[in-house]
Amino acid sequence: MPTMSLGDQLKRRKPIVFQHKHHQGEELARNLSTFQLMMFGVGATVGTGVFFVLGEAVPKAGPAVLVSFLIAGLAAGLSALCYAELASAIPVSGSTYSYAYHAMGELVAVVIAGCVLLEYGVATGAVAVGWSGYFNELLLETIGWRLPQALSISPIPGTDGEPTGGLINLPAVVLVLLCMVLLIRGASESARINAIMVLIKLGVLILFAVIGFTAFDADHFSNFFGKGLAGVSAAAGTIFFSFIGLDAVATAGEEVKNPQKALPRAIIGALAIVSGIYLAVAAAGLAAKPVSFFEDSDNAEAGLALILKQITGNEFWSTILSAGAVISIFSVTLVTLYGQTRILFAIGRDGLIPRKFLEVSPKTMTPTFNTIVVAIVVALIGGFVPSDYLWDTVSIGTLVAFSMVAIGIIVMRRTHPDLERPFRIPGYPVTPILTVLACLYILWGLAAITWVIFGIWIAIVLLFYFFYGRHHATLNTYTDPEEIAEPAGRRLREDEE
Amino acid sequence: MTYVVGYSPHKDDACALSVAAQFARSDKDSVHAVTVVPQGWEVAAGSATDGDFTAWAQGQGEASAEEALTLLGADAGVPIAASWVTGRSVPAALLEQVEALDADMIVVGSGANGAPGRVAMTAKTDRLLHSSPVPVAIAPRGYAAEPGSRFTRVTVGFRDDDATWHLLQRVADICRRTGASLRLVTVALDRPPMYTAAVSGAEDLVREQWRRQASAAQDEAVEHLVDAGFARDEVETVLARGATWVEALDSVEWHSGDVLVVGSSSTHLLTQVFLGSSAAKIVRASPVPVVVVP
Repeated sequence: MPTMSLGDQLKRRKPIVFQHKHHQGEELARNLSTFQLMMFGVGATVGTGVFFVLGEAVPKAGPAVLVSFLIAGLAAGLSALCYAELASAIPVSGSTYSYAYHAMGELVAVVIAGCVLLEYGVATGAVAVGWSGYFNELLLETIGWRLPQALSISPIPGTDGEPTGGLINLPAVVLVLLCMVLLIRGASESARINAIMVLIKLGVLILFAVIGFTAFDADHFSNFFGKGLAGVSAAAGTIFFSFIGLDAVATAGEEVKNPQKALPRAIIGALAIVSGIYLAVAAAGLAAKPVSFFEDSDNAEAGLALILKQITGNEFWSTILSAGAVISIFSVTLVTLYGQTRILFAIGRDGLIPRKFLEVSPKTMTPTFNTIVVAIVVALIGGFVPSDYLWDTVSIGTLVAFSMVAIGIIVMRRTHPDLERPFRIPGYPVTPILTVLACLYILWGLAAITWVIFGIWIAIVLLFYFFYGRHHATLNTYTDPEEIAEPAGRRLREDEE
Repeated sequence: MTYVVGYSPHKDDACALSVAAQFARSDKDSVHAVTVVPQGWEVAAGSATDGDFTAWAQGQGEASAEEALTLLGADAGVPIAASWVTGRSVPAALLEQVEALDADMIVVGSGANGAPGRVAMTAKTDRLLHSSPVPVAIAPRGYAAEPGSRFTRVTVGFRDDDATWHLLQRVADICRRTGASLRLVTVALDRPPMYTAAVSGAEDLVREQWRRQASAAQDEAVEHLVDAGFARDEVETVLARGATWVEALDSVEWHSGDVLVVGSSSTHLLTQVFLGSSAAKIVRASPVPVVVVP
């Protein structure tokens, strides 16, 4: 193997190689309509964060949290468009990380890998923590008993520094381990279950909005911008979390007939629906309860159910909402945990982490070791880290990754102007620049502690890369193009860059 | 040594006779069809009612044995025999006969309720699989070997674990003795992908890795067989994949001289109690006769 300078290695890109052998009938004739793609985006996005986010975001921005929702949505929509161009230009299986490895070189890929791992790992933990709150609420409303505080909250004090009186968030840990078992056994959520889960989420959110508006009090919206612009941007950072998933539309781009037309329509349509529901939920929450309600940390757990209970004075509707949340968030945990294992899997294929993560059990045909490691880490996050830190950490990883994607679009257009792009972002170069600006604006509002956590994590990832990944990368030694070839399941196009 | 067939005139068991004869021809062995008829009560002699019953059962047994001989026919090409025994439980009686006749294998049919052309497991087969000391062969429903034909290729369900390696060794010995060629098949289900924003084509990545691992394990097995004296062109390997087990097995080409061999489970103590879950599904999806090795 020819020796390569570190600088060259950091900049080297993974060539695009496809497997030539494929069996007949393996190429899937997948023709999604724009509407289906849009609903796919809605399903992937809606209702993960919105169940929990008001308790975190309203104290930061006050009633202007509605503006924060719009800003976060705008940034997410623009990012998804950028992501769509990158995904369409590089038709490989994988995540943002994989596209970056092909487009922008190893160093950028490693940093993005760090961001994406942080995003999905912490998101799964965060969702499990949120689930735990609704699970306890549901227990209380149905059997009149809930787990004691010691077993349902993390021992680490939140951002307010007050002791929590908790030992471990047991429901969150159990949920993650349960999902782990399902994933190891090879469970997968079918399109039908997915659709049902989406309907449940939409149903309970609309239920909340409708009931919330019956308690409308315009006074709650007074002093709209009371917390200032900094508050709006800080809240947008937290809220951004609840728009993650919109990028799913981008990766499904190869399944539509005319991506140039369908992708922006689907992304904008999905964004409009999701934003509409979020705004309705946020407005209904604000209409029903004053800002001070959200500031009380006792009300953060299972916030939406609590509001319903207080408005209606009985537990019927809040029980329905809690049940809906418990069911649908369970599926979200399963899917995000799955996503995390498969990101690691993609990284493992490139040799940047030990090959053990690639091992597929011949019995269950799932990456068992990988799944167990991911689940243990996520269970630790869910069991011991308070949710205050989690949402923002997810957002920072995603925002940094998306900013790099947007910059990558501009770089790619300049370095590879001739690359075939089934989808070209409209309004170039304004759109990617606007994306970067929107992401930076939200990043600017994030708390210092979030940046510290992020910095430490990326430092760990880079150290790992310098001491391990750099020496084991598949690109160092491959002799046969098959070793780096992409699975043939996706679109069969063999144009090398 | 012989091939024992569990034969019942009411169960569409001609296919089992056909498979047993095909085995016997391949292995220069004989076929022995056994019919199990209900046992009378062992009460005081002279009970007229029970005497009638015993006489009836005897008649049934004799008729059935004769029928089996007729079906096996003169063109079986191997020594044939048929007998009947009484017993409370068909599987238990068959197992006694296996011991008495020093059989190599028990061959049974797929009952009358399976899908045509596929293997079905009846309650009796299930019991046999749990307790038989010798391999159990199951004929697909309606199976009929061409007259005088032999098994020319043995396909082994291959998974990279100790039990399968052990099985492979045994099958390789038999193939060498009978001159049949050997094929390794590794079967996997293509799972529907989950909807996640994280990774596109996520399951493609896993499948691809599975394919590499399975191919590598098969290659290793082939090397092992070649070292043990097999000619390289006598050993084939194939990966079977599909959305269902039936689809996966149908993706492999089969011809008339084929037989599929699967191990009953992994190495632990429960070996004989449980047919591995994948093995059971593979057995049910098989379009050719299956041998389950304990």
